[in-house]
Amino acid sequence: MATDTHSGAEPAEQYNFDIVKKFAVMSLVWAVVGMSVGVWIASELAWPFLNFDSPYFSFGRFRPVHTSAVIFGFGGSALFATSYYVVQRTCQARLFPDGLASFTFWGWQTVIVLAAVSYVLGYTQAREYAEMEWPIDILIEAVWVSYLIVFVGTIMRRKQPHIYVANWFYLGFILATALLHTFNNLAMPIDLFSMKSYSLFAGTQDAMTQWWYGHNAVGFFLTAAFLGMMYYFVPKHAGRPIYSYRLSIVHFWALCFMYMWVGGHHLHWTALPDWTSSLAAAFSILLLMPSWGGMINGIMTLSGAWDKLRTDPIMRFMIVALSFYGMSTFEGPMMSLKEVNALSHYTDWTVGHVHSGALGWVAMISFGSLYHMMPRLWNTRMWSQRLIEWHFWLATIGIVLYIVAMWISGITQGLMWRSFDEFGNLQYSFAESVAKMMPFYAMRAIGGMFFLTGAALMAWNMFMTIRQGQRENAAAVAGKLAHA
Amino acid sequence: MEWLSWFSHPENTKPLALIIFFVTFIGILVYVYGSRKRGQKLESYRDIPFLDEQDANKDKQ
Amino acid sequence: MNFNFKHEWVETNVGLMAVLTMLAISVGGLVEIAPLFLIDKTVEKVEGVRPYTPLEQRGRDIYMREGCYTCHSQMVRPFRDEMLRYGHYSLAAESQYDHPFQWGSKRTGPDLARVGGKYSNEWHVQHLVAPRSMVEVSVMPNYPWLLSAKLDISDIELRLKALRKVGVPYSLSQAEYDANVATFGETVARQLHIPDSRKNLVEQANFGNYDGDRSGISEMDALVAYLQVLGTMVDFSKYSDDAFVADR
Repeated sequence: MATDTHSGAEPAEQYNFDIVKKFAVMSLVWAVVGMSVGVWIASELAWPFLNFDSPYFSFGRFRPVHTSAVIFGFGGSALFATSYYVVQRTCQARLFPDGLASFTFWGWQTVIVLAAVSYVLGYTQAREYAEMEWPIDILIEAVWVSYLIVFVGTIMRRKQPHIYVANWFYLGFILATALLHTFNNLAMPIDLFSMKSYSLFAGTQDAMTQWWYGHNAVGFFLTAAFLGMMYYFVPKHAGRPIYSYRLSIVHFWALCFMYMWVGGHHLHWTALPDWTSSLAAAFSILLLMPSWGGMINGIMTLSGAWDKLRTDPIMRFMIVALSFYGMSTFEGPMMSLKEVNALSHYTDWTVGHVHSGALGWVAMISFGSLYHMMPRLWNTRMWSQRLIEWHFWLATIGIVLYIVAMWISGITQGLMWRSFDEFGNLQYSFAESVAKMMPFYAMRAIGGMFFLTGAALMAWNMFMTIRQGQRENAAAVAGKLAHA
Repeated sequence: MEWLSWFSHPENTKPLALIIFFVTFIGILVYVYGSRKRGQKLESYRDIPFLDEQDANKDKQ
Repeated sequence: MNFNFKHEWVETNVGLMAVLTMLAISVGGLVEIAPLFLIDKTVEKVEGVRPYTPLEQRGRDIYMREGCYTCHSQMVRPFRDEMLRYGHYSLAAESQYDHPFQWGSKRTGPDLARVGGKYSNEWHVQHLVAPRSMVEVSVMPNYPWLLSAKLDISDIELRLKALRKVGVPYSLSQAEYDANVATFGETVARQLHIPDSRKNLVEQANFGNYDGDRSGISEMDALVAYLQVLGTMVDFSKYSDDAFVADR
């Protein structure tokens, strides 16, 4: 199925694939850019001279460039691309309307560029994953409302009475992101002509709002939406329908309902009232059920096609993605237990957990889906299967290095901070714990380099694939003309 | 607005959340798995991603 | 649930599906966030917490600009090791004027919630310019530009006015000033008066001489002034050990 069908051969008028192509290409560009910055800042922690005494490249300003470029640039563009592709194909309707869809592309890319430039120049709201200042937030709002209109407009044009479940997940993601973005970014600009603003909320309330946003950026942006991707591309690539449609319905409603409660687990043992974070922890545990329901649904879909795992690296991306999804959604609830959180919070363990989800689940399922989708868009096959194979192994080894490094360093930090000597004094100074981190920070940077190299290979492979597709199509057109 | 403080007590919110969550959850479960006929209908939607290929092939023929 | 309810209505009607999805995703946030704004127990009553002076607030702006929150938390948890290392655990009241909060999520470096007064101004300046000259194993970036960059105070009134609009009691009118005198005492109230903010800022910087250089006001002056006030507003010796347990 990977390369033998050229099902992207519909006449161009039927679907708007132009916009899908643009987003798909940009998602690869942002993957390489964002991961490069990631490797850089990871290296800064191991070798601080890399900050170069420059305000623009210092860790504090550069880190949001990494998070925004990979989450919103790479992840966001991949979601726009796949959602526009999936909604058109499962509704058998052309995107509506083209102009607005085009605006979402240019608007979104502008957002990422402006965000990166403004962070480096020191404009930030200082809220994690929502660092963009207010003018950029307003642009995001405009893009997002347009996205909703395009997506819903397309669904309303559908030829099927039923809306396929992948679209539910995309819709849930669009709605939730709109809600979260709007409330978390309420701020008072100091002047209409100034980038600077102050959050409407303060202290405890602000913290809860921010982590309600922060965790659901993970829950909806980085999970629900990518589940939408999974519910289309996994069955499609395996050539088998989803294992249980009924399970996917339960999965959807349970996930939507429960995710929004769990943000408070980022604030255990803080000045946030205890009842809030306890409630959040309870829901975090419950969340394991829908998460694993979804994982099982995906894995069982692939289970009839195990033989393809040996020959088809794209399939392997998908199965590894689902495995990491299962692992992260087990680790997450565990870390939300107050006792575990007391040790894990503030340490690298959290960073490792995020990356097992972000690299293992989000990036891997995106790679798999893009490998499936992009050759079909250009009506060709992948330029090199071997490079996909290389990409797979580089990415997998990279993730393992990264996560293992962060587990060891995180747990070491947590234990060192809380250990006492025989007189009841603190056994280690903070600096001693920092010194212990050096080898693991280096190992993490190397893991990141592996992952980045894989992504760069993919970008190269895709570039060649697109060229090949253009050449083939040009030849086909020339052939037709010659016959006519 | 005083009534909102009712929610701040875990002894109230815990059972409430549990009840809301559980009733809705059971409702969805009953709906989805309660009837064989409905189940079959729901499962038939699994094939939607593959429908466009038939269309495409028809176009080609 | 309505007996005639059919999930097909949802599956086939994108509007209804959107509404139900919105409903499902709104409950959690509403139940957890709304009460925080409405219950006065969320923020305990403590003496001493006040809004930042103009200079401290500018320092806080720089703290945010440089992304210090990416590596430093400002939230001491109620554990024995943290109380030994950092001091009394943080209270909600202590960040009630923080727009936005800077509790952070990661301790690549130590917590800063109670760093105020722990080190001298000279130590901070030297440490910010060249962290490894003070702590050999530190991985903190150098911030030499803070010392050379002149602090921009041209928009200090605008900044404080914006903060006033979101609820920080900086005063514009005489009545507001009088109210601040009643709440915080005259010394503090004077610092919170927006019309005098520029004068107050310059005075505090010159008097404190945080960066050790009297020739002008640098960004370092502001940042160190901010670091030195962190966690010092509440005098915990006035409270018993379990004074705040009920509020948690």
